[in-house]
Amino acid sequence: MHIPDGFLDAKTAITSAVIAGGGVGVALSQVRRHLVRRKVPLLGLAAAFIFAAQMLNFPVMGGTSGHLIGGVLAAVLLGPSAAVIALTCVLVVQCFLFADGGVTALGANVLNMAVIHPVIGYGIYRLIRHRLTGQRGMIVAAAFASWCATVLAAMVCAGELAFSGTISWGLAFPAMTNVHLLIGLGEGLITALVITAIARVRPELVAESLQPTIARRSGEFVGLGLLVALGLVIFVAPFACPWPDGLEKVAERFGVKSVATMLPAPLADYQVPGLKSAVATTAIAGAIGTIMALGLALLLARILVPKQTDETRFS
Amino acid sequence: MKHDFLDRYSRRDSLIHRQSAGLKLTGALVVVLVTVIMPRTAWTFFGVTGLILVGLAGLSRLPALFLLRRMLTLEPVVLGVAILSLLQPGGGVIFAGILAKGTLCLFTMILLANTTPFAALLAVLRRLRCPAILVTTLALMYRYLFVLVEETERMNRARRSRTFRRQRWWEWKTLAGVIGQLFVRSTERAERIYSAMCARGWK
Amino acid sequence: MTPALEVRDLSFRYPDGREALAGVSFTVNPGECVGLIGPNGAGKSTLLLHLNGILPEQIQAPVVFVAGMPVTEENLPTIRRQVGLLFQDADDQLFCPTVFEDVAFGPQQFGLDEAKVREALAKVGLAGYEQRSPQHLSRGEKRRVCLAGVLACNPQVLVLDEPTADLDPRGRRELKDLLRQIPATKLIASHDLELVVELCPRSLVLDGGKIVADGATRALLDDSALMLRHGLERPHILQHHHPH
Repeated sequence: MHIPDGFLDAKTAITSAVIAGGGVGVALSQVRRHLVRRKVPLLGLAAAFIFAAQMLNFPVMGGTSGHLIGGVLAAVLLGPSAAVIALTCVLVVQCFLFADGGVTALGANVLNMAVIHPVIGYGIYRLIRHRLTGQRGMIVAAAFASWCATVLAAMVCAGELAFSGTISWGLAFPAMTNVHLLIGLGEGLITALVITAIARVRPELVAESLQPTIARRSGEFVGLGLLVALGLVIFVAPFACPWPDGLEKVAERFGVKSVATMLPAPLADYQVPGLKSAVATTAIAGAIGTIMALGLALLLARILVPKQTDETRFS
Repeated sequence: MKHDFLDRYSRRDSLIHRQSAGLKLTGALVVVLVTVIMPRTAWTFFGVTGLILVGLAGLSRLPALFLLRRMLTLEPVVLGVAILSLLQPGGGVIFAGILAKGTLCLFTMILLANTTPFAALLAVLRRLRCPAILVTTLALMYRYLFVLVEETERMNRARRSRTFRRQRWWEWKTLAGVIGQLFVRSTERAERIYSAMCARGWK
Repeated sequence: MTPALEVRDLSFRYPDGREALAGVSFTVNPGECVGLIGPNGAGKSTLLLHLNGILPEQIQAPVVFVAGMPVTEENLPTIRRQVGLLFQDADDQLFCPTVFEDVAFGPQQFGLDEAKVREALAKVGLAGYEQRSPQHLSRGEKRRVCLAGVLACNPQVLVLDEPTADLDPRGRRELKDLLRQIPATKLIASHDLELVVELCPRSLVLDGGKIVADGATRALLDDSALMLRHGLERPHILQHHHPH
């Protein structure tokens, strides 16, 4: 998801840099106020950790592989503002030491992966944790929040490319979203597994996340999941209008198939019938994907935590 | 495998290497900015900039093969996004334009990264009054990046040598185990670094 | 004469309740070079951290004295200048992106002249390494940069934790020669008993958080029963040069 130089125009680059700068600024002031001296080295080590973790690839589907973004992972382990700082540093080092990700796109990259991913992801994580306690709750929250954050970051990334006039919305949005509906599953699975692994050896490192929070009614939880799904769709709808996509013409020129094969495996199926309104169908795919991801997260929690040892309560 | 090769070239000696980090950083930023702002069809400009960059690369006496390898590693990222633009009306021009821009900027940044030690760039950031906590985090991250990457490699090798089953699920779990272990070790190391900083009078 | 280091009945528990040190007492005179030996988990590293006030939160009354000065919260800046601590893992101690910045870290914190940096680097034989990054150094070089970082603060007492661990024979020899040239009072914790024999006329044996023996190094290491009881082994060089 690292945008290189040359893909964003001035207005997009500056706008996203300003928003990202604001986010990092808030995180900095939070960290300055709340971070104990003892934890200062941890911030640097955590950034190096995220960098190293991003180098490990995981298999996605059909031979392709993805890698972790790690925003939600960092936010759960360090808290959201420390995560923003750590991920910003990761992106800065990748940009200046390895030329990975553009300088002019640094603002946009920081916004997508260092601000939106950890902050929104952590918000969703907390929301679920408030309603689902215990180890299972932690797994569901971590997995689902990571998935949402990854998809959301990809959507914003597509928006930035479209806003720059580089790739039309009708093209960028489905392509980016669909790929990340899948990569997000990997991100969610890895995040949940890593947090479980850490909680097993050093529970105090995720102590805050393990703390039982006030359990609410299960109905509220399901409702919330649907709300998030709906939120993703609503987020998408207004974006669909201002950029009339040239997809119809493209479809004529290249034939429908070439576009359809661009979109990866199973969720691409949602695409094919309504190619004319790819954005709308992607939104629907997103909504269905959200519910599926939530279901998978719940399933994962059931697999990982045997019933007798579980203290999850839907009270 | 040692990973220090990634920034070994930044410490060579050449006319370019000897220039101050601030100058090189400013120069690289100007080239990237102008390239990005130029219209997508400014072919003469792209050509001239490309030639100048190749000239600078020659002056820097970096091995051509190394530069080529770095370009080839990173170019797919540019190409991958650019190829999407082919699918829209008038896509050919956009594709060629952003491909040229992306490649030029990539080349500029690779040159900067391999002629300027990261520590020198950090010193520039410090002089520019970049927030201290950000500079400290960057410095520590840069320092321990190589330690952690090597640790990861070691653990990953150990993981592979013990993995007999070729099962997806098992693969995911052990991968998560490696990442989890890496985090635990990082926090422990952070504690020891804190002690070492205090021992030398950190205030 | 005021001892360079004095520890009076020091006890310490880890946060998890495990006892690390149980009433440790000893003194080290100025200019002495003392070895600290004992099996793994004996509490050596914990003891060394106390000498520099790294674990001060748990200390109630001062029990550690450096040149007569008690290790207390308000004395910490002075104590940390006077006691130079060399950590077990050189990677933990080299936390700056360049050698120069790392060696200058101590002098900067203590408000000392940065000219000390070049001097200290020259002393450990690494003049000209200023702009190198730690990841491009060999283990022996890393260790010597750590030592330079400590020496740049002009400490009166040097406390070293396993200085030769992970060094190859050449690195070890170079470090040994270097340590011999440094006039400061030294306390060296090590499993490298040959090093202890060569550098330290006197040694302390620490086991189970207690000092179980204190005396001339050769005599201690010749006492096979004592060595065996505390999980140690008589080094080869002593076997070749047996007094009888």
